[in-house]
Formats: sequence, C-alpha cells, structure tokens
Amino acid sequence: MLKAIVGFVAGVAVVLLLIYNFAGSLMFREIPSPFGVEETVARIQQNILNAGNGWSLSGLRNAAKPIEMDGGNVLPVLMIEACSTKYSGPILKDDSIRFLSNLMPCKISVYKKNDGKTYIGMMNAQLIGNLFGSMVGEIMGHVAADQAKFIVFDASKPAPAMIKGGSGGGGPAAAGAAGGC
Amino acid sequence: MRLKYILLLAAASALLAMPAAFAQTAKLETIIAPPTQAASQVAVAAKAETASTADHSKFKALQTNFKSGPQVTEACLTCHTEAAKQVQHTKHWTWESVDAKTGQKRGKKNIINNYCTSPISNEKDCMACHAGYGWKDSSFDFAVEKNVDCLICHDTTGTYRKLPGDAGHPVYERVEFPKGSGKFVEPADLKKVAQNIGLPSRSNCGSCHFFGAGGNGAKHGDLDSSLQHPGKYLDVHMDEKGLNFTCVTCHVTEKHEVSGSRYNVAAAVKGPAHLRGKTDASPAACQSCHSDKPHSGRMDILNTHTAKIACQTCHIPEYARNEIGTEASWDWSQATVMGADGKPTTRKDSAGRRAFDSKKGTWVWDSYVIPEYRWFNGDSTYKVIGDKIDPGKTVQINEIGGAPNAADSRIWPMKIHRGKQPYDKVNNYLTVQHTGGEDDTALWHNYDWQKAIGAGMKAAGLPYSGEYAFVSTEMTWPVTHMVAPEHDALSCAQCHSENGRLQNIAGVYMPARDRNRLLDLAGWTLVLLSLAGVLIHGGLRIYTSKKKEQLK
Repeated sequence: MLKAIVGFVAGVAVVLLLIYNFAGSLMFREIPSPFGVEETVARIQQNILNAGNGWSLSGLRNAAKPIEMDGGNVLPVLMIEACSTKYSGPILKDDSIRFLSNLMPCKISVYKKNDGKTYIGMMNAQLIGNLFGSMVGEIMGHVAADQAKFIVFDASKPAPAMIKGGSGGGGPAAAGAAGGC
Repeated sequence: MRLKYILLLAAASALLAMPAAFAQTAKLETIIAPPTQAASQVAVAAKAETASTADHSKFKALQTNFKSGPQVTEACLTCHTEAAKQVQHTKHWTWESVDAKTGQKRGKKNIINNYCTSPISNEKDCMACHAGYGWKDSSFDFAVEKNVDCLICHDTTGTYRKLPGDAGHPVYERVEFPKGSGKFVEPADLKKVAQNIGLPSRSNCGSCHFFGAGGNGAKHGDLDSSLQHPGKYLDVHMDEKGLNFTCVTCHVTEKHEVSGSRYNVAAAVKGPAHLRGKTDASPAACQSCHSDKPHSGRMDILNTHTAKIACQTCHIPEYARNEIGTEASWDWSQATVMGADGKPTTRKDSAGRRAFDSKKGTWVWDSYVIPEYRWFNGDSTYKVIGDKIDPGKTVQINEIGGAPNAADSRIWPMKIHRGKQPYDKVNNYLTVQHTGGEDDTALWHNYDWQKAIGAGMKAAGLPYSGEYAFVSTEMTWPVTHMVAPEHDALSCAQCHSENGRLQNIAGVYMPARDRNRLLDLAGWTLVLLSLAGVLIHGGLRIYTSKKKEQLK
C-alpha cells in the first residue's frame, strides 16, 4: 500500500514538474518573422484590418520606450493591440467572466532578439479560452483561428506603412546642409 | 482533467499578475516628458552660459548686410587671418586624405563609395556638404581663401542652410525644397549669422554627418539627427541632461584639423588616460580619458579583454538605436525602373523611410542593428576611381586591416553596408555616373544609364567602353558613436556562448564558444571517475554494513 501511495505521489510530482516546465510554452507562442520589426508590425496590422469579424486596431505600444526614457536600452518590442467587438462583447456582458477583460485588447508583440532576427510573440487563445468554460472556449477558438491568419504574410505584396509609428529622432537639422543624394 | 485544473490555476495566476504589470507600464509611461521642449530649454541655457570673450555683433567688419557667403568669410578673415589657410589643409576642404603608410590618395574626391558613389560630375549637389563655396566642377580653385565657409561649422542660429544644387552656397532666396514638396527654406540673414558664431555644436557637425548619403542616419548608423538632443540611453557622453558632450569634446581640433577620422582610426590605443593639456595623438579615442584598463573592483577582470577587444564592442551593443534607423543596402541596379504607369515613382518602407526611387534604386533599412564584428587595426584600403575589380566577387569598397594575433588589432563592431553599383564590363572598374542636375546626361533627369555613365567617366578622365553591368559591393564602417550606459554593455554570455556575438571571429580562443577536445576529455574523465568513486565507495559501505548485520 505504501509503495502505491509513494508511486502515486511521485507520479503527481513528475506531472507537476512537466507542467511547470511546459505550461509557459503551451500558453504562449513565438514565431520567427521573415521581415524586420516595422514591416512585420505593418503586415500584421494590415492583416488585422482585412480580417473582418469586427477586428480593429486598438493601438501600437512600444514597450522599449519607457526604458529608453529612463536611460536604459532594450531591443525594440512593439505590441500590436487589436480588438474584435464580435468576440469581446459576449465576454464583457457576462459578470462571471468579465474579469477576462484583463486579456483585452488582444496583443501580438513583435520584437528583435540578440541574433538580429525578428520574432512574433502571441498568446495561445484557444488553450486559455478552454480553461474558462465552453462559451469562452468557443469564442477564443474563433479568436485563435483569426490570429493564425494575422501572421500569414504575402511577401509578393509591397510593405504597407506601419500605423501609428513614431518618427523618433530629433527632427530636422537645426542648421547646415541638407544631403541631396 | 487534472491538467485542466492546473492550467486553470496557472492562467488565473497570470491574470492576477497582468494588471500589476500593466499598471507598472502605465506608471512608466506617465514619466515621459515631451522631450523637445525640455531639450531646447537646456540648449538655450547652455548657450546663455557660454562665456566668450568676444561679442561678434560689436565687430565693425560684421555690421554689413552681406549678400553672399564669401563676403562673410572675407570679413571673418580680417581678424582670423590664418583661419582659411588652416582649413585649406584639412579634409573638410580638400575632400582628400593621403594614407601615410601606403601613399594612397583617398577621400571623397578619390574613392567611389557605396552610397552616392562619387561627387565627380555631381559637385553642384554634393558640395552642399563641402566647407566651401563654389565647387561646381573640376575648375574649382582650392587656393581662394574667401571660398572657405566659416559659417557651416560656426553658426549658432540654426538658420544657415546649404542645399543641393548650389555648389556649397547657402540659401540666398526662398526656395522650395525638396522640389514639389510644398516645403520652403528661407534664406539666412547672413549678418545675423556672422554676428552669432561659436564653437561647433552637434547640429553643426550633424548637418552633414547625420545626413550623409542623402538621408537621416543613412550612411553611418551611429550618427543621425537623434544625437542633436540625445538621451542617456542613446549616448552616455552626449546625454543632453548629463555630460552633454558635443562632437568637438572628443574630436579635439587643432588648427582646424579635426581629430579622429575613419580614414585613420585609432583602433588599439594603449596606456593610461591622458592628462589635460598633454599633446595627444588620438584624443578621439575612448582610452584618452578611460585608459586601456578602465575597469576596477570586481570588474577588473575585464581589463584582460582590452588587448583583444575594442571598447566599442561591448559598450555599443547595437547601433542606430532609434526609429530613424540606418541604411543596410543600396541597390543601384533598380534605378531607372519606372512605376506601373511608366513614370518615375517612389516607395517608402513600413517605417516611412525611402525604400525605392526610380532615380536611385532600392534601399533596405534597419534599426537597433546588431553589429558585425571584425579584427581591425585602424587601416583601410579603399577602391579609388579607376581601380580594377573582379566582377565575379563582391567588391570591397574598403578593405580593413587587422589580424587576430597582431598587437595593433582589436575586435571591432562594424556596420557592413551592402549594395550594387554599375561597373565598366570591359575595363573592369566601377563607373562614375553623372546623377544630379537638369542637363540631358543627368541620370535623375533622363533616366539613361549610358548617358549618365558616359558623362561621369568623361568628367573623371577615365575611358568608358560603353558596356556596363552591376556588381555587388560592400563597405565597412567601424561603429564608434552611440555609447550605451555601462549597465547596457554586452554581458559575458552574449559573447561567451556557441551562438554568441563573436561566433564568427577567428583566431582567438573563447571559453564557452570554443572547445579543446583534450581538455573536455580530461574534465569529463575526472567527473566520471569522481562519480564512480562515490558510487563504489557508497556501494561498499552499504555492502559491508549489510554484511555486518548478517554476521550479528
């Protein structure tokens, strides 16, 4: 009997360890992008605008900027925020799950890593949705399906302009020559 | 089922943590103050504190309504009698640099670079960045002192501007620039400018060096207009609210000769920091102030790196650290390609930077660029006009010197700019092309490569076979500006790892990147022997204790 209990506890411990190790990678995905940071952002934004299903862009946040303003450096991290009223409406109407508004708007982050390549980071909406009952699970399933389309790129199309992109820098030269080439 | 509950717990924890994270982000963002207003206030304050011993507005020679730049220079020279002669010995005037070791004549006048290629036959445009007036063709007289432009470097009003097409003269009449843009440049009040001169500011130097290759940040990558009002993150020395260095703080100038040049980089300076006032061969080097052993305390182990690694390698982890970015490539072979309607067209990239122009070809830009790393001893051998090339290989516009075990070499961060340029298929040299202007042979006017190359080669005095093609090119730029704060320097693991920053650097043993099989074998043998010893010892103890129990 003791052996069975020890075996069971050991089994639970192994499962917990595996979950601890893999839960992060199950809940979030990271995909390399064939384009630079700005172009990846612009193409995703374009895909969101063309997705239908009530999707619209809510904003573009540069998570690296506050760190720069504080005198530090991090590689660029741009977060595209998008929302679909078709999917957010039913969740926000239900008091019991309104706390899920914390997950809104949907975010897709685009960032550069030390290998110089650009990556796309996003949440596994399907998996997370399934944790909160059938209604949320179904809605998040649709969100996940749309999100998968957001990161399908047609390289034959020219790069669109990034929406709400800052110009950075200090503006034009205060004095002197202007390069003409 | 169990998995579901555990995932639910994990997700709930994440949800609980998210508002806190967002609240933190919001808090950080509220700290951001509008930078431009604060920055300009600092600049104004700095100007007010300038304690010059001369008020130039009181000088009689400067109380004239000047009609031209040369008139101003003549007035300047009435007091500063030697200034023009000094300038005329510098690269800013001659656009020429002689390699002391090889005798090779380099400089803008002699090389073909990877961007706008050559100023020859394009002087009227390119000389917007010449510290002089009137260089419109090869007849320019380099001995005329009044043609030295004092104001481009010494204006403090920010109103003095020189535009392409005027052969280095400032704007004398209101003009639309760029043409068709609806934006106008006002002429400077030359009297006011002449009366308000001072030491060169970041804006003075930057008016050319930030905008090289015809675009903000295009050429260097570590120099762009963000350095006019830089924050600490961008450059710890130039930080406008901190040390507030200008360019000439490091690029100490003597007789108008500006120290620190990419033609002769001080790549491996040794010895202690230099005393103020001491004559210094390389004042623009990091070591001039920091010495070659700059780390102290727990970090002094890093001093062992300085014999192999340039300061810049660790302390400039990325260049072009802003949205301005820098040009990664310029493909001239796409120039003269027209839009769908058969007319010249332009296109921008996702960040709003130039990506295509029927006049100039295609560009690729990047921001926050991870440098490439090379051994470098400060020497560069350039392709000068007329040098033979092998079109089967990528043409190196400049080949940098340096070797792994040479005492004068260090591992440096580099910007490698890639491109395609036209070359003469028969004579096998890069061509000079006439691009700017309104005449029939100008590429940007008639989009005819044959005519443009013909005119350019004629001006350069080189034969042209009449056959051209495009060849891949590379140009290497040592990165030395945009020094990050110390806590943003590269960490050990960023180099000491198999796929780290220096993975392609040959000729040096780097722990964690490189392996010595014999050492590895010896180490693992020791580990296995130790393990075996523990197991055998433990086993014997168990065995003997059981034996003892049996005997009892």
